[in-house]
Amino acid sequence: MAYYVNRNIKMTWWERMYILAILHGMLVTLRHFFGNLFGFIPFLLGQKKHREIFTLYYPEETAKYPIAYRGRPVLALNEDNLPNCVACGLCEIACPAYCIDIIPGENSGKQNKVERYPIAFTIDYAVCIFCGFCEEACPEEAIYMSDNCDISMLDRKKMKYNMEQLLVPVAELKDRMDFCRDMYGKWNY
Amino acid sequence: MIVDLAITLAKVFFILAVTVGFFAPVLTWVERKQSAIMQDRIGANRADIMGFTALGLFHIIADAAKMFFKEDFIPDGANKVLHTLAPVIALVPALLTFAVIPFGGQYNLFGKEVNLVISDLDVGLLFVFAIASLATYGYVVAGWSSNNNWSLLGSMRTASQMVSYEVTLGLTIIGVLMVYGSMQLTQIGAAQENFWHWGFFLQPLGFFMFMTASIAENKRIPFDNPEAESELVAGYFTEYSGLKFGMFFMAEFIEIVTIAAIVTILFFGAWHIPFVTTATLLSIFDFLGTTGSNLVLMFIHVGVFFTKVLIFIFIQMTIRWSLPRFRYDQIMKLGWKILLPLALANIVVTGVVILALS
Repeated sequence: MAYYVNRNIKMTWWERMYILAILHGMLVTLRHFFGNLFGFIPFLLGQKKHREIFTLYYPEETAKYPIAYRGRPVLALNEDNLPNCVACGLCEIACPAYCIDIIPGENSGKQNKVERYPIAFTIDYAVCIFCGFCEEACPEEAIYMSDNCDISMLDRKKMKYNMEQLLVPVAELKDRMDFCRDMYGKWNY
Repeated sequence: MIVDLAITLAKVFFILAVTVGFFAPVLTWVERKQSAIMQDRIGANRADIMGFTALGLFHIIADAAKMFFKEDFIPDGANKVLHTLAPVIALVPALLTFAVIPFGGQYNLFGKEVNLVISDLDVGLLFVFAIASLATYGYVVAGWSSNNNWSLLGSMRTASQMVSYEVTLGLTIIGVLMVYGSMQLTQIGAAQENFWHWGFFLQPLGFFMFMTASIAENKRIPFDNPEAESELVAGYFTEYSGLKFGMFFMAEFIEIVTIAAIVTILFFGAWHIPFVTTATLLSIFDFLGTTGSNLVLMFIHVGVFFTKVLIFIFIQMTIRWSLPRFRYDQIMKLGWKILLPLALANIVVTGVVILALS
């Protein structure tokens, strides 16, 4: 809907001088300037853990993302040093971007604990849209969205991560696992 | 004779070292860092030598190196001679104005009177504005010779804005001239030894108008219509690259220093400390002998002067990062309809007060 800005604002003589507005604007910037300038000092002296300025020196410092953050999907590596994944292919189907590629393998049975396992598990991060559907679809708690989001390569082919690159110990994914159980465990969330 | 020459050369060297060597590069850093801190950012800190960033000060070196090694591009259809000449025309007046700006008083060193100004002209104040307005040619020629419509528009705006605000600038200083009765900048500076005789107290309106008009002359925000990024790409220096662009940049930063220096001399007591006269300072350091005490006095005065200059640079930077750009018609309206009548009224009031007091 189109709307019109009322430009016929009647200003008093004093308001039209703009002096008060200019001084107020400068006061705001000066307050920020000196606040931030002296906010640095306790940090530099080591008395404070954080700077007053919330901008980070990015590659050196990294922000702690909230647990609901969806970074790159990773595979969980359980305590027996095996992937949780059973190569069911549900994430492959759930993926709207078709970035997951699984080649399943099968154990003959008795001597092994797991019957099915992935021979190869590839995620192409150049295609991935970080929707989190794979995590939601997974029945075995095997794939999780990590908080790692700085995936940048000079070569597009390097964006394809294989299983060794994808596997992350379960201990590191604990928080996200708890969050997902809480989130997706409800009958309808 | 040779001593005089040596003293003059020393002063020239000092001024060049301070403006080109110190202020112009450091102000690029100040502008980045100050704006960053104002906007809750951190600012330039990537350039490092062996992992040591020195608060981003190495960006100055990186910038200089970048400008030296960039391609010096002259666009098709541009007037090559004028295109090359324009940055020089813009930069030289900015440096020349410092010839008459005193950065200290008169001192008796080794039985010789040393006047801390390169050339103590009788018409120093006029000289400053005469030379400063020559820089306009540089900007106009730069825009015209680039064969680019943005540049041409930018230079047209520069010309009109300069003409409009030079009138105000010229009329504002008439009030100062009437109060101090001299055009010699050293005399104006020396007349402000008493704190209550500072130009700011005698010409308060004049100070604000002078500040406004001089920022407009320098084409910085809020008066940066000639180079408005969102409208004219970069205005008159759109087609400049490398060191030629750097010269425009340097001219702008040196003009900031010039404005701060002139405001300090005309309105804020030049090299004097409030409530402390030169005689008092001399008597404090009397035990050092004539030359010694004069030397200490000289260092104090130069230090005070440049401290004041730094404060005014800070104020200009604050204004630049606080206010939005004026519209073109607003600039013209402010110049001709508000500042010009106010400046005339200021002259009349000053004259009446001087007549009534005499």
